[in-house]
Amino acid sequence: MAAIVEVENVIKEYPLGKLSVRALDGVSVTFGEGEFAAIAAPSGAGKTTLLNLIGCVDVPTSGVVRIDGQATTDLSDAQLTALRLHKLGFIFQSFNLIAVLDTYQNVEFPLLLLGGMTKKERDRRVREIVEQVGLEKQIRHRPNELSGGQRQRVAIARALVTQPRIVLADEPTANLDSATGENIIALMKEINRKARTTFIFSTHDPKVIAHAERVIRMADGKIVGEENRLAEGVA
Amino acid sequence: MERVRILLLMALRSLGGHKIKGLIVGSLLAFGTFLFVMGTTLLENIERAMEASITQSITGHVQLVSKDAVDRLAFFGPDASSEQDLGVLEDFPRIREVASRVPGVAAVVPMGRYYGQPILNTELDEAIEALEEAVAGGDAELIEDRIGKVRRMTKTLHEDFERLRLLVREDDPETEKALQVLDKATSDAFWEELRANPEAGLQFLSFEVAKLSDDQTMVYLPFIGTDLHRYAESFVHFEMVSGEMPPPGSRGILISQAAYDQNFKNRPARLLELIHEARTLDRRTIADDPRLQDMVERLKEMTAQVTMHLTPQATAELDADLRARFPEVEGDLDDRLAAFFAVDDANFDERYAYFQERIVPLIPLYRVPVGGTFTLRSMTKSGYPKAVNVKLWGTFRFKGLERSELASAYSLIDLASFRDLLGLMTAEKRRELDTIRSEIEVEEIDADDVEAFLFGAEPELEIGSVEEGLDLDARLEALDVAEGGTPETFDPAEIEKGTILNAAVVLDDPSSLSKTMVLLEEAFEREGLRVKAIPWTEVTGVVGQLVVVLRVVLYVLIGIIFIVALVIINNSMVMATMDRIGEIGTMRAIGAGRGFVLVLFLLETLVLGLFASALGALGATGILAALGSSGIHTHEPFFIFLFGGTALYPAIDVANVVWGFVVIVIISVISTLYPARLAARVPPIVAMQGKE
Repeated sequence: MAAIVEVENVIKEYPLGKLSVRALDGVSVTFGEGEFAAIAAPSGAGKTTLLNLIGCVDVPTSGVVRIDGQATTDLSDAQLTALRLHKLGFIFQSFNLIAVLDTYQNVEFPLLLLGGMTKKERDRRVREIVEQVGLEKQIRHRPNELSGGQRQRVAIARALVTQPRIVLADEPTANLDSATGENIIALMKEINRKARTTFIFSTHDPKVIAHAERVIRMADGKIVGEENRLAEGVA
Repeated sequence: MERVRILLLMALRSLGGHKIKGLIVGSLLAFGTFLFVMGTTLLENIERAMEASITQSITGHVQLVSKDAVDRLAFFGPDASSEQDLGVLEDFPRIREVASRVPGVAAVVPMGRYYGQPILNTELDEAIEALEEAVAGGDAELIEDRIGKVRRMTKTLHEDFERLRLLVREDDPETEKALQVLDKATSDAFWEELRANPEAGLQFLSFEVAKLSDDQTMVYLPFIGTDLHRYAESFVHFEMVSGEMPPPGSRGILISQAAYDQNFKNRPARLLELIHEARTLDRRTIADDPRLQDMVERLKEMTAQVTMHLTPQATAELDADLRARFPEVEGDLDDRLAAFFAVDDANFDERYAYFQERIVPLIPLYRVPVGGTFTLRSMTKSGYPKAVNVKLWGTFRFKGLERSELASAYSLIDLASFRDLLGLMTAEKRRELDTIRSEIEVEEIDADDVEAFLFGAEPELEIGSVEEGLDLDARLEALDVAEGGTPETFDPAEIEKGTILNAAVVLDDPSSLSKTMVLLEEAFEREGLRVKAIPWTEVTGVVGQLVVVLRVVLYVLIGIIFIVALVIINNSMVMATMDRIGEIGTMRAIGAGRGFVLVLFLLETLVLGLFASALGALGATGILAALGSSGIHTHEPFFIFLFGGTALYPAIDVANVVWGFVVIVIISVISTLYPARLAARVPPIVAMQGKE
């Protein structure tokens, strides 16, 4: 399995007044293509920081993060933006839909940023993915007309519509009830299986962790354990 | 293209999502555009209208003065009422010839502006005169009637002086003397004596009493000395109201109808007319307007100005009429007339009509009738009083500017009388003076010095000998005698050879003003004529600068609106940015670049600006179009002058609309630059911080 995300010896420090807080303390981890991995840790252990670095919305203080072989430390803001646009999809804890756009438009948005696509092609892809997440009936609804689960489905569709190599999800079920959360995870897993998209999500919910093929456990900015359930046939 | 679509879409959606902000900023922008378009359009129309009214009535488009002029030529404002040293246009016939050859010049009219006082009888003068006539006629009843009037007037005058003594001067000898005279004139003994021996009494009245009365007859009459016929032909707004143009070569004056009404009209008749105009044209009412109430009060005290002109028969008839109207009023016709003059809103129209129909035919409506002659007094340039008898040939007005006080400020007088009033040289005098000069070999006597010399003001004049000086004096006096005081005619061919102070140039096409100015100056330069050309805007003094002032006020106002708009838009966009940090962060995380965010924010205001500005421009255009067909009507003299008539029909200039639109759109974009940059700097990491 080829490595798509490589994290090598990464330290991330945030200034806090005169001191600095070390959020990540020498983390090294690699994610292979098509993995469905969970980063499991209590709050404040550094899992969001790790996702931010992988998501190219932040760069490490030291160490290297490589996305598809490209080290993020060397890139400009514009290059990082392009990298996010082309290779990454984001699913946020609080969905982060654009309030003034409806389902269709929210999903279409990254395609428009991407450009180079006919309207027809774009329309086909938007409808396909919306259908896949089961929101055909809500395609013209604005986010405030959707339930939490529906919103997260829109977010998943938006993250996937550009066919990214990696989808990052930060606590994707934290704001959902457990049944809906299960559904969302199931949906993510189904897409993972069909499209071989790499999913990396952070969570501290044991039920969600149970779905992961690989679980990386963190504490105090360090990786403290790892389980690979695929080998055990859990999936 | 699709990016533009999504940007536009998102901009519209954002605007829809922030309605209050959009409404505030939008109405500000719409109002700014509205003000800009309305303001600039009205201003340009006023400017055009004013230009037309001034240039086609008084000044022409360009005024010519000597390059040696010390003061600025001004027809209106404070500069106009002070003495102006303008020098003299030397060799006017050639100046006219040169100027007339310049393309675009329609006419060159010689003129000069000055002012004088018509010497008019006071009411007391007239009453005394009427008494003299009655005494001469020997009609006892008429004499008694006239005696009553003069007595009443002397009594009023006596009261005035007593008030004056109490108020200002306790022991002023002149007031005391006046009171002594009036004590006598109001005593029964004096009138008994007058009945017995009218001559002495009338003399006392004429010489001692009459001069004490000063009932606002000090009239200030600004006039323009010009070639009347050329003036009438060249100024298209000019039109005769009554009388006739003086035949060529005749001396005389044409008074503007407004000045004639204001200064020469019988005062009760004038007051009634003013109240009538205020009620009909300005829709004011006596009940609400203190000025009209004051007029009515004054009117009630002016009965003598009607009754003293009436024959006994007319008096009896009118009295019978009014007795039927006011059976309860005791006393004589004056008392009943005072009751009649106590007008209010309910009875005004009926009484005004009655006055016009029954009373006006019985009295002289103007103190000097058209065709009559009066004496005009002025101070000559060298400071001596000069009086000239002028015939009032008629009255005129400028079409559309009838109620404009400024346009009708000037009366028109022939150049010969004008020169007399200013103490300037006529052609004959100039020639005669040249002859005398050559005889006595005086080199340096110019127009201004002659009088000073005659009256001995400048003794240092170099004169050959004392005898010869006396000789000059005698010769010039003889010249005046030869002219027979004030002659009635002059040689029209000589009109332009005398002194001319300035001249009006009327153009075919007003828009070629600056071009023609240059051509004129070049032509004068080439011909070696010491003449400078001044555009109408400069010679109208304060009035011409009014447009500039209005423009400045408008621009300052627009400027303030712009600054306020800038601050408010900037502020609300910064707030919007703060509100939308999460959304911006999400867009950035998903892959929107900084440029995208920047353009999105700019586009939002641009769309708002376009929309609001279009609305404002449309609103202004709509209102202007409505005003363009209905007209903005006014009866205020000042606005009549501004509008060049009683109504302004604004024409819409597309350039102003486009400008207003463009300027506001630019302003809106500029005011968003900072917040948009702020938004573009929002890092994508905020998207992960858990707030939607």
